[in-house]
Amino acid sequence: MNILMLVATNTPFNYFPVVLQLVVAVGFVVVMMAATHLLGPKRRTKDKLINFESGIPAIGNARQPMGIKYFLVAILFVLFDVEVIFFYPYAVNFKSLGLEGFYAVLLFVAFFFCGFYYIIKKGALEWED
Amino acid sequence: MKAIIAATILGIVMMFAGLQMKNKSSVVTLAIVLAFLLLGVNIWDLVATPATAPVGYFNNMLRIDRYALWFSTLMTGVTVLYTLLVGKEIQKVGVHVAEYFALIFFILCGVYILSCYNNMLMLFLGIEILSIPQYILAGSDKKNLKSSEASLKYFLMGAFSTGILLMGITLLYGATGSFNIVAYSFLQSDALNPLALGGVIFVMIALGFKVSAAPMHMWTPDVYDGSPTPFTAYMATVVKASAFFAFIRLFQVSFGSISSQWTVVLSVITAATLLIGNLTAVFQQSVKRMLSYSSIAQAGFMLFAVLAVNAVAWQGIIIYAVAYSIATIGIFTVLMKLKDYTYDGFNGLAKKEPLLAFVTTIFLFSLAGIPLTGGFMAKYYVIQAVMVQNQFLWLVIFGLLMAAISVYYYFRVIIAMYFKEGNAELHAPVTQGEKVLLVITCGLVILIGIFPQLLLSWI
Amino acid sequence: MPILPLHYMFLSLTLFCIGIMGVLIRRNAIIIFMCVELMLNAVNLLMVAFSKMYVDAGAQVFVFFIMVVAAAEVAVGLAVIVMMYRKVHSVDVNILNRLKH
Repeated sequence: MNILMLVATNTPFNYFPVVLQLVVAVGFVVVMMAATHLLGPKRRTKDKLINFESGIPAIGNARQPMGIKYFLVAILFVLFDVEVIFFYPYAVNFKSLGLEGFYAVLLFVAFFFCGFYYIIKKGALEWED
Repeated sequence: MKAIIAATILGIVMMFAGLQMKNKSSVVTLAIVLAFLLLGVNIWDLVATPATAPVGYFNNMLRIDRYALWFSTLMTGVTVLYTLLVGKEIQKVGVHVAEYFALIFFILCGVYILSCYNNMLMLFLGIEILSIPQYILAGSDKKNLKSSEASLKYFLMGAFSTGILLMGITLLYGATGSFNIVAYSFLQSDALNPLALGGVIFVMIALGFKVSAAPMHMWTPDVYDGSPTPFTAYMATVVKASAFFAFIRLFQVSFGSISSQWTVVLSVITAATLLIGNLTAVFQQSVKRMLSYSSIAQAGFMLFAVLAVNAVAWQGIIIYAVAYSIATIGIFTVLMKLKDYTYDGFNGLAKKEPLLAFVTTIFLFSLAGIPLTGGFMAKYYVIQAVMVQNQFLWLVIFGLLMAAISVYYYFRVIIAMYFKEGNAELHAPVTQGEKVLLVITCGLVILIGIFPQLLLSWI
Repeated sequence: MPILPLHYMFLSLTLFCIGIMGVLIRRNAIIIFMCVELMLNAVNLLMVAFSKMYVDAGAQVFVFFIMVVAAAEVAVGLAVIVMMYRKVHSVDVNILNRLKH
């Protein structure tokens, strides 16, 4: 369908789902934060007040050589994160692509898991040496 | 199409084989078996596809014709030869042997896509699939600083040229509203959109980077010199040849109708490539570095085929790609056996290993273009392609002059081997099997020199 | 003033030229890399503008592919830069002249 035609049929009511989603999203965050605040146990110790550095005691300046593991995980994250971009066109054409499109995406995900299995087997995600 | 799928799957198989197999030599054996398997799939593809009707895949984004199939098959054949000759050396580069072979299979996938693309998206993906594994292979010798440098340099230059290629593609899209390369063939020379002209020039520059044409060649000597020698052998041959095939496919199929607009620019690039490649090669002390300049010089000759917009050029590029690849892989195989990569390292090789010296001589003859070798026929075909066009006669004469200069630096190696006293030190004695393989390679070079028609019988 | 495709073209060509100049002038490997990314994003912008002009979604899919391939390049490239940094403790490309003899 033409983009211009879509614009022509726009009414304020079309935005209702977006508003609904916004309300749900904000509401979820508020409810969750309030719930944890009210229900969770409270421990006020000295350790809780220092900066949280992924469980490692903070030492010295932040601008120091960091572990290569952080870097590796960051790189892998970027790769796996961006590949998800291919789901957008699929999501838009979900119905018209039908079963064939579904198989294609399944194949894509299968290749994805090959890569994921490989990096796990290679030990790229192991924190302890 | 089967070959593209097979190359991807075999690459993944190789990756996982690296997790299971701890023995390096068994990994190499597996890689050789898989390479043969891939060659088999290619031949199956070639036989199963009808000769007359090209087949389109993915909405005609890939269009598989006879040239594409035959070129992929030949390049796979060269890769099989490469794994047989160089497989043992790849073991010595580092610990991740299986991954190196996996990357080579992924490169082959890029080669197949580049041989049959019919859409700019596929050109872009093919070039990237071809290039990204190479950045890793260039830096695979992690202990060596030169290898890391080569990798970084190659990566920065490669990414830069990708940006330029994409700009060219976008401008062409802006001019025509299509990514299909056949759509560009309707461009008219007399009413050319400046967007389209800009796009053609951008694409030409970017592909010039990939095939290391002057003045975009600056990265080549450093990268080829710094990379581990087994991978240099691959980069300088199969990868370069398939980049050329992509080049010629685009510029003949799409921009053939406006050839008067770009041939002048390309002829200047060709002349500069020939001049810089040959003249700088003369002054090198290291044979490896000389070979990387010589690969620039050979690229100059392959550009002849792009310049000539006719059917002979297609035959020329196929013969040139194969003849040049086989001879270069042969030379690099011999080079890897030696401890010293300078000319002096070759001193007295003829006395110590007469057979090794003999095959090296034949390979160098082929690169220099001496008759009865594949290199001569290759040069003959590309020059004939330009002659048929009846244009750029000055370039042909210039090319012949440069070929004469190239004889000087190739023969320096031969003189060192046969006429100089010395003790050429080898890493290890050459085994019987390697000798047989080198003789077969040498036989192939001579076979192409005598019966070049063999390479054209399938198209 | 309506925004025409021509304006997008000027903008993205400007960005592209900034990228090229950055690659040619800067000596820090990371900055060169960022400039390459700038070039790619200039292309993406132009691609989307043309896509709108021709009312053809093909170019937008092309942009997705550029993004993904750029991410793959980032992964490889940053790994190479880190490998280099661990050896020479610098990302200056001027020291990369060891290969010139």
